[in-house]
Amino acid sequence: MPQRFLVRATAILLGILIGFPLSSMAQDLSARDILEKMEDNQRAQSNSALTRMQLSTCKYGVRESRITCAERPRVKSLESVGKGYGVDLKDTKSVIVTLEPASERGIGMLSFAYDDPSRDNESWLYLSALGRVKRIASGSDDDETEPGSLFGSEFTTEDQETGKLDEYELNILESTSLDGREVWKIEQIPNEDRALKSRYARTVAYIDMERFVVLRMEMYDQYDREVKRMLGSRVELMNGIWVTRSLTMMNLVTNRLSNMAFLEMHTGIEVPDEFLTQRTLTDAAFRETELEKLRAQIQ
Amino acid sequence: MRFSANIVASLGLQLLFTAFSSQAQQVNDPQVLDDNLDFEPDFGFEEDLFATAFDEESSTTDSWLDDFTIRISQQFFGQVNNHSIEPIPGILFPREAEMENNRLGINIRYQNAFAPGWLLQASGQARYYWKDDYEYEANSDSIDAEYRVNEFFLQRSYGQESLKFGRQTVVWGETVGNSVLDVINHFEFRDLTIIDIEDARLNQWMVVWDHFGEGSNWSSFVNLYPEFNPAAVRGSPFFFEPAFNLTDYDRDSELLFEAGTQWRKSFELSDISFMAAYLYENQLRYEDPISGIGDAIAKGNDFLLLGFSANRAIGRLLLNFDLAFSHNVLADSFNFPGTALASPLDLRKDQIGTSFGFEYALDNEQSVSLGIQAQKLLDENEGLLPGQQLFNEGVFGSWLVRYSNTLLNSDLVLSSTLQGDLKGDSFLALLGIDYTINDNWSVSGQVISITSNRESPLVFFDADVRLGATISYSF
Repeated sequence: MPQRFLVRATAILLGILIGFPLSSMAQDLSARDILEKMEDNQRAQSNSALTRMQLSTCKYGVRESRITCAERPRVKSLESVGKGYGVDLKDTKSVIVTLEPASERGIGMLSFAYDDPSRDNESWLYLSALGRVKRIASGSDDDETEPGSLFGSEFTTEDQETGKLDEYELNILESTSLDGREVWKIEQIPNEDRALKSRYARTVAYIDMERFVVLRMEMYDQYDREVKRMLGSRVELMNGIWVTRSLTMMNLVTNRLSNMAFLEMHTGIEVPDEFLTQRTLTDAAFRETELEKLRAQIQ
Repeated sequence: MRFSANIVASLGLQLLFTAFSSQAQQVNDPQVLDDNLDFEPDFGFEEDLFATAFDEESSTTDSWLDDFTIRISQQFFGQVNNHSIEPIPGILFPREAEMENNRLGINIRYQNAFAPGWLLQASGQARYYWKDDYEYEANSDSIDAEYRVNEFFLQRSYGQESLKFGRQTVVWGETVGNSVLDVINHFEFRDLTIIDIEDARLNQWMVVWDHFGEGSNWSSFVNLYPEFNPAAVRGSPFFFEPAFNLTDYDRDSELLFEAGTQWRKSFELSDISFMAAYLYENQLRYEDPISGIGDAIAKGNDFLLLGFSANRAIGRLLLNFDLAFSHNVLADSFNFPGTALASPLDLRKDQIGTSFGFEYALDNEQSVSLGIQAQKLLDENEGLLPGQQLFNEGVFGSWLVRYSNTLLNSDLVLSSTLQGDLKGDSFLALLGIDYTINDNWSVSGQVISITSNRESPLVFFDADVRLGATISYSF
């Protein structure tokens, strides 16, 4: 995986944690209001978080109206710690370490993501084979590249991005129900500039009216064919907010699906600034000791 | 020992076929899914195919086996082009296609933070050399085995300090692949499957002390048993029969040591570091035995190093720069077994060296990088007698260009590396393909082509074409 992309994926992952939960009750909201509230939640919850997640990917098949994995899923296990900085905590520092698979175990990355689009994000990667910390040129989140796969899964950076609402036409298509839940169907159509950086001509999100989480999202190409579908499940109340702990993205073109499972998610913990430095990448004794302290806070 | 090129060629073709047939599946029309579809209940409850992931969460138990990472690999590699070389005008040597590597490797890595602030880390490897491997032939045509400890250190971290005792590496350079500052650990380029300096780096017994300050870090090391680049293994592509037996350094009761320190600071979008060290050249300098018979005399080459390194990120571009000043280094350091044996000059000089380059991400999948290393002896003619000549005159060094492209959600990586010396005497081209089959299995293939004129020691590999394949299992 190219290093620059790994950097971007790491920064995005932190956003994923809080990109879907919506905590406030709202009535008579516009599509933009709803999506802006999602971003407010993101900022409120991105500060001081410890997360363990699992990304599983497989080729799927349909058998007797049921979707099943047609092969043994590929599994990637990751642990991350993040903290907000700067004005309104809009900047983020995060460390992410790969736990599985064995071939990637111990690969660590430190990322500083700046809210100011004029500042390039910063990232350092530690590979034991390289024997040192290496700076990665990551550019800004807003540069002109096509979104890529997130850690080799069917999720892309674009699927998980939040914000940039000015670059979309937003419409509430209807209020309906999905699996017994009342939902809004919100359509997002990128403007001309955004369309150049997007793989989708439009998306439709089904947002739970009561719990304010995305239960389903459909992605369409320029021929208005549905190319991907994302389903959310295991909606649980964690630390006072509703969280979608299991997200499944189906690529209808490649017939592959990926599941992102948030096995542990803890916010509001005290993360020392020293932990979000290059030392955490090179000094495994320090890293493990500090992680134990963070886990102790949760317990 | 005739090489069965068909085997490797067919492996390579299978690899390519696997890769591109998978890619071809991506051009289908989207599948239309019925809205009433459910997930297979065998995998979890109806809405959640991967519910078992959460079941594992509650039943997670730490096992001592979790501290181990093991990779088992089988490698085939060989020279496939039947041709001749002419290192001396009019004298032709045949170069027949032959298998060079047929070996099984087992790499084990262990990392255990066994108590707060304490860590034990170790890694080692075993190699088994099968029929047609050059090690098999060097072992009188019988299966040979080799075991080696790579890393083995104990780490204690407290407050802002960290101490590491044991076998480890210290890397200072910024330029990946050919930095003039990556000279602390010694190296072994045993054969042409090892292209990268990172893969050839050997660990040494050292004490490393790191101080992590508020705005900058110090890293210092002491090595009380400096090791030197091992001589080429008999039978390997780099081996040739020297006029005198090449032995290790005769330490007697002499206490050799190396020591150095580095100061490093990070700014927004840039890192810089300064370093100073007393070191021994990793490559021993060999001289004729005084009596003219017996073993060559290995001579240590100690010197002082002052260095500076920096990087700067500009969008998707990363610039790297290393600068090294070596004081009192032997001018005619040994470069290739045999070539400097005749009459190396016993002159010590100062040397300036730099390596610089860039890495650029073309997009999320593609990247290109360039590295150039250049060195020059200062006052190179001073002390030379009429007719004397240094082995390295003027500016000497190498360049390296890499390109990589990641496909199929990172499962397939295509890469190419071009490498050469600054004087244009030799050129190496490598094409690589790595395919990850699943979380455990992966395969890779390599094609290496070498071109050289008589000015370069690589003339012995001129017009060689090497083809290789490796299959690995990790857990």
